[in-house]
Amino acid sequence: MSKRIAIVEDEAAIRENYADVLRTQGYQVQTYENRETATAAFNLRLPHLVILDIGLEQEYDGGFTLCQWLRTLSKTLPIIFLTARDNDFDTVSGLRMGADDYLTKDISLPHLSARIAALFRRQDALDQPTQQEHMLVSGPLSIDSQRMTIAWQQQTVDLTVTEFWMVFALAKHPGHVKNRQQLMQDSKIYVDDSTITSHIKRIRKKFMRIDSEFDCIETVYGMGYRWNEPQQTGKEQTGAEES
Amino acid sequence: MALSLPIRFGLRSKLLLLSTFLFSIPWFGYQYVWEMEKYLRYGQEQTLVGTARALATTLHDRPNLFNSHASFLPSVEQGRDLYGYQLKNPIRLDGQYRDWPNFTSRGHEYGQDHLLYQQKTSPSGEALTMAFKTTLGKYDKYLYLFFNVTDDKVVYRDKNMINLNRNDHLELAFVDQAGKFSRYLVSNKKPGWLDTYRITDLDNNIPVVTPQIQGQWLTTDQGYNIELRVPLSMVGDKIAFAVHDVDKEQGKVTHTVGSADPRFAKTLGTVLVPSPEIERIVRSMRYTNSSIWVVDQHHRVLATAGDIRQAAGVWHKKSAGSEDTSWWRGLEQKWLIPLYYMVLTRPPSDFIDQLYDASNLTGKHIVGALKGAATSQWRLTQDQQAVILSAAYPIFINNQVQGAVIVEETTNGIRTLRNRALEKLFSSILAIMLLGAVAFFLFASRISSRIRTLRNQAEQAIDEHGRIKQALPPSNTNDEIGDLSRSFTTAVNRLSQYNHYLENMSSRLSHELRTPIAVVRTSLENLSMQTMPESASAYIDRAQSGITRLNLILTNMSEATRIEQMLHTTDKMDFDFIQVLKGCVQGYQQIYPNISFDFTVSESLKTVNFLGSPEHIAQLLDKVVANAVEFTQDNQVKLAISEEKSQLVLTISNNGELLPQQMQERLFDSMVSVRSSKRQEQPHLGLGLYIARLICEFHQGKISASNHHEPDGVTVTISLPLSTKG
Repeated sequence: MSKRIAIVEDEAAIRENYADVLRTQGYQVQTYENRETATAAFNLRLPHLVILDIGLEQEYDGGFTLCQWLRTLSKTLPIIFLTARDNDFDTVSGLRMGADDYLTKDISLPHLSARIAALFRRQDALDQPTQQEHMLVSGPLSIDSQRMTIAWQQQTVDLTVTEFWMVFALAKHPGHVKNRQQLMQDSKIYVDDSTITSHIKRIRKKFMRIDSEFDCIETVYGMGYRWNEPQQTGKEQTGAEES
Repeated sequence: MALSLPIRFGLRSKLLLLSTFLFSIPWFGYQYVWEMEKYLRYGQEQTLVGTARALATTLHDRPNLFNSHASFLPSVEQGRDLYGYQLKNPIRLDGQYRDWPNFTSRGHEYGQDHLLYQQKTSPSGEALTMAFKTTLGKYDKYLYLFFNVTDDKVVYRDKNMINLNRNDHLELAFVDQAGKFSRYLVSNKKPGWLDTYRITDLDNNIPVVTPQIQGQWLTTDQGYNIELRVPLSMVGDKIAFAVHDVDKEQGKVTHTVGSADPRFAKTLGTVLVPSPEIERIVRSMRYTNSSIWVVDQHHRVLATAGDIRQAAGVWHKKSAGSEDTSWWRGLEQKWLIPLYYMVLTRPPSDFIDQLYDASNLTGKHIVGALKGAATSQWRLTQDQQAVILSAAYPIFINNQVQGAVIVEETTNGIRTLRNRALEKLFSSILAIMLLGAVAFFLFASRISSRIRTLRNQAEQAIDEHGRIKQALPPSNTNDEIGDLSRSFTTAVNRLSQYNHYLENMSSRLSHELRTPIAVVRTSLENLSMQTMPESASAYIDRAQSGITRLNLILTNMSEATRIEQMLHTTDKMDFDFIQVLKGCVQGYQQIYPNISFDFTVSESLKTVNFLGSPEHIAQLLDKVVANAVEFTQDNQVKLAISEEKSQLVLTISNNGELLPQQMQERLFDSMVSVRSSKRQEQPHLGLGLYIARLICEFHQGKISASNHHEPDGVTVTISLPLSTKG
């Protein structure tokens, strides 16, 4: 059974372009041009994934409203914001409302479909037992590349897909400096430098919510970022470090 | 439109200048008081003439007042007809004329003109060796006489001599009130108390000693003085006296000089002593504060009352003012009055007026009055200290002018009045001017300070780049300056809105363009997934590269706005500035492998604790270094950091093209680029250095670019203030 994707987008040309691409990749795509029609449809049946624009016709924040409403219906429904609005405030608001990813319309269609695929994969992987070959464990950090989840000190860090790929890219080669360009490539987004900076900041904050002494992501000024192995010295962390 | 004066006149000084017109008020006041004085003088003149007329009215047609005197004579002869001055002080009979007022000027000279007798035996007619000066006065009940005789040889009566006339002697003759004629001789044996004898109407022709006539004989260097007094009861209105000169011991009289022939009653001259009856009438007028004279037709004073020194007129009020000791009175007395009297003159209470000799008053007004016309005149006193107003009115007896009443007053009363008015005027004007000046000054200060505040606000509202720094607070005052302030506020607000619109232009543009670009991009991508003829894919590739470039532009544009937004929410933290810088330089060495970076840290700086955002500092450096790398011609970029006056000064310099002069200021503005068109393979919006400036300003720093020479190039200087705890 193919996955059903709903696109809520008021710009007909983009909507149809996205829909066409996704349909060719075998998804069932429903398109809605405003919140009313989308709400009516979602009330009948929820899709497997929703792509939302924020500004919907007259509603400046229609996408946000829709996102909040969808989250009340389902905790696990993957939601992607795909919007022209790229400022920090909107990004943060979108992610706070429980979206799994926040993409700007700069993203190319292959990247978009890769992300959608990844989200579905994560969704599917969550239902299956953890497979060790997809596990990358380094100190207190464990990454499940299948499920696209990251745990720090055995607690899940709630990352978006973009953030997951960034951490994954850094942690795969600890000690290596990844510049912003490389991070962008690895996380399949195309943004400017300061967006990368704010992504990194958000990631740090998410880790520090679990461990207030987290400082594994180091800024190498002028070059980029580096994942440092947590220091073994000092107070003993949990036993997970040795495992 | 304004004249360009070398000196700048502020609003305050202009208002002060205008307020000097206040000073014309005292001038008008002064003129007004002068005018008032003129009318007061006119009024005084009328009053004075009225007083004179009133007094004359009481004296009209009362011939008995004038009868006993020589007033009815057709003419009087100087020397023969005598005038007895009214003496104000008692006379001491000591032979000195010190106690006679103005003896030297009042005394009448008797000499050759008054020669009554000359010894005929002298063959050649011996020259007159004797002369004398005489004055008469009346005091109490006596008539006083003083003779100052000049004689080359004083001959006294021999002590055994019976004859009274064989020596220098004085002869007096009177007709008393009852009409009885008497002659007396003063013939002394020695200087001292007078020996006086009556020589008429005697039974046996033996002179009788007359003790009623008393006096003193005093020998002087020139001759002798005789001072004597006669009871008024012995004297009527006819009198004569003669001095007989004898030059040899027991010789005969050589010369006789006198006022009139004393031998017969009918040859006697007249004497006028001020009339008590008239005086009584006149004295009743003395309360008028005037000096009053009554003269007969021969200009001789019959009566006087009042003293010209006290005669200040009816205007004179004696009220010295209540003796209050308030501060105002003290201030007035101590400071203001002396100040006023630098301009005003105080009417003199002690002036000298000797115009009138009581025996013979002169003056046009008297002449006029004696001709029958009431006249008045103004004159200055002799010492020019006071102005005296005189009014004369004729006295008629049987339609004949028999005398005149002269009333005199000084204008001191009016002057005092005028001074009082001027004092008050000056005081109030001073107060008005003081208050006015203070009010003007405060008003001007308030206005100019408000305008200055407005100017400062206007200057602070917009910086040198034309950006709005802060809103202009509108004034609540409901006047023109308030209107101006509000207009400014509106203008600045509109400008601010426009600026805001411009500043948000790139973000909105990027936002608005993103959707159509997405349309094109997704369409192109969809197209490229289709099977296409070979020739079409080249066009799709070109279209896609165009879209990519457009996207890059949008990304750059949104970066600037994102930086602005992010800086608002960024928290500052402590970090090692040098460490960040070193890291950056290392990074650049990797990113730009063919550029050599030369980083110099001044020796005093090992570590610098800096409060700020290290990511943004790095980004700032990225932008500036990228710029320097782009423009360098010798592939060298020099970085140097030093500390100057608690400022971190970071310089980044490259050798290459110089900056155009006019661009040095604007280089860090949004969308300004100095790249030549051939360099434009990459889209460039001139946002890099704008971002650098935003970051600098976030750290309260400054960024500037300047050219350097030999070799030519550009140096960008970033100065950041060190936080106090660093």
